Amino acid sequence: MPFKRFDQARPFVTLGVAVAAWAILPGALKSFTRATFFELTAPISIVASHVGDLQEYWALRLHSKHELIRAGTELARLNASYQVAVQQTNELRAEIDRLESLLRLPSFTQYRYEHARVARRDFSGWWQRIVIRKGRNYGIPLGAPVIFSGGVVGRVTEVHAATSVVELISSPNVRLAGVVEGDVLGRPISFQGGVNPTFAPPTGIVEFVPLDVIASPTSTKRLVTSGLGGVFPPGLTLGTITVARIASDGLFKTGEVKLDERLGSLTEVTVLVPLATE
Amino acid sequence: MSTRRVFVLFGTLLVLWAIVAQLNHALTAIRVYLFAGALYVVAQALFQPLRTGLVISLLGGLLCDATTPVTFGTHAFLFVAAHAAVYHLRDRLPRDDAAGRIVMVLLVNLGLFLVFSFTQVHRSPAPAAIWPRLLVDLLCSQLFLALITPWFFALQHRALVLARASRENLA
Repeated sequence: MPFKRFDQARPFVTLGVAVAAWAILPGALKSFTRATFFELTAPISIVASHVGDLQEYWALRLHSKHELIRAGTELARLNASYQVAVQQTNELRAEIDRLESLLRLPSFTQYRYEHARVARRDFSGWWQRIVIRKGRNYGIPLGAPVIFSGGVVGRVTEVHAATSVVELISSPNVRLAGVVEGDVLGRPISFQGGVNPTFAPPTGIVEFVPLDVIASPTSTKRLVTSGLGGVFPPGLTLGTITVARIASDGLFKTGEVKLDERLGSLTEVTVLVPLATE
Repeated sequence: MSTRRVFVLFGTLLVLWAIVAQLNHALTAIRVYLFAGALYVVAQALFQPLRTGLVISLLGGLLCDATTPVTFGTHAFLFVAAHAAVYHLRDRLPRDDAAGRIVMVLLVNLGLFLVFSFTQVHRSPAPAAIWPRLLVDLLCSQLFLALITPWFFALQHRALVLARASRENLA
């Protein structure tokens, strides 16, 4: 009878032994195991992503030459306006350099732009992240900011051999400082990724919003990066503040931020690699 | 413990992971997430010897842990605990019946999803507001599992037969 009792409890005894063994396992071994399992799955994500690109390529091949010519014309116009913008940017950059040297100000961090395809998007209620197809092989550093045409995407949280993981700003784990666009005082506001409801755009929350900032769904305020902390350059779009209500302490407001819907269908992003770290 | 069987069944878990990851990738635009944790556990717990099954569930858990931003070992612990519970009850469960297997998978997935949610929900700035989203995800996951479970059990069985590592009849 005692043997039978032990036989029934055997799965749980084994579970206890496994947990005890896991608890005393060195952290380095756990990190190594994690990296090993991640690298095991990385080729699957990369191959699936390349297959997706191939499908897109063949779908684009079906477009007529007429559409191609029209797209080329539009692209040429866009290039012309960008060339003007590049000239203006160069002039402004030279002006900034001149003022920095005159006033002996510390210079802004310079970045190298590393464009990367998105291999896998992984958005749950618990986390929001993407895997990109560039890693240590392209010198992607940990913590680097990631942007796209709509503003900030997030920051690099893991770097692997040929892939990197980017935590999105819609993820509850991301918290950074922003400012309301046009705020001459540049008062920082705390931004955190929030709830991401089904069939709706992602959202975030803001805290420590100054009392004079008024935002409502009909009169939204654009939230941009503050540049504080040195990770994100200033002025990049985070989202739009749609609600700002007085917090329970009465000293500040809290609010909701609507993020770009395109975060849910990203296919290409740009990693800002600080030149100082290279 | 048969090493070949472990490799074959872990291979099927890798296939499952790839399919679920690609589906989740495609569903990001509508913000739906599929959680298929029970499939990493139930087949092994119902049909494999204790040690072999536990090792495969542990490997499946580590696979999920490595690709998610959770404390390394969270999935592994949950899967091994679920495995132990199902293994303990398996002689009293209708494991030869397809409907019974589906019900088992759905119940285990419900338990895993809820426990996992409670371990992660504290990270959210508004823990109460996150539950409607999680309930939609859970509903979609259960529907997905009800559809995929018979196929996945058959896949594991055929993989074992092809690798000549089958010991028990899953028909």
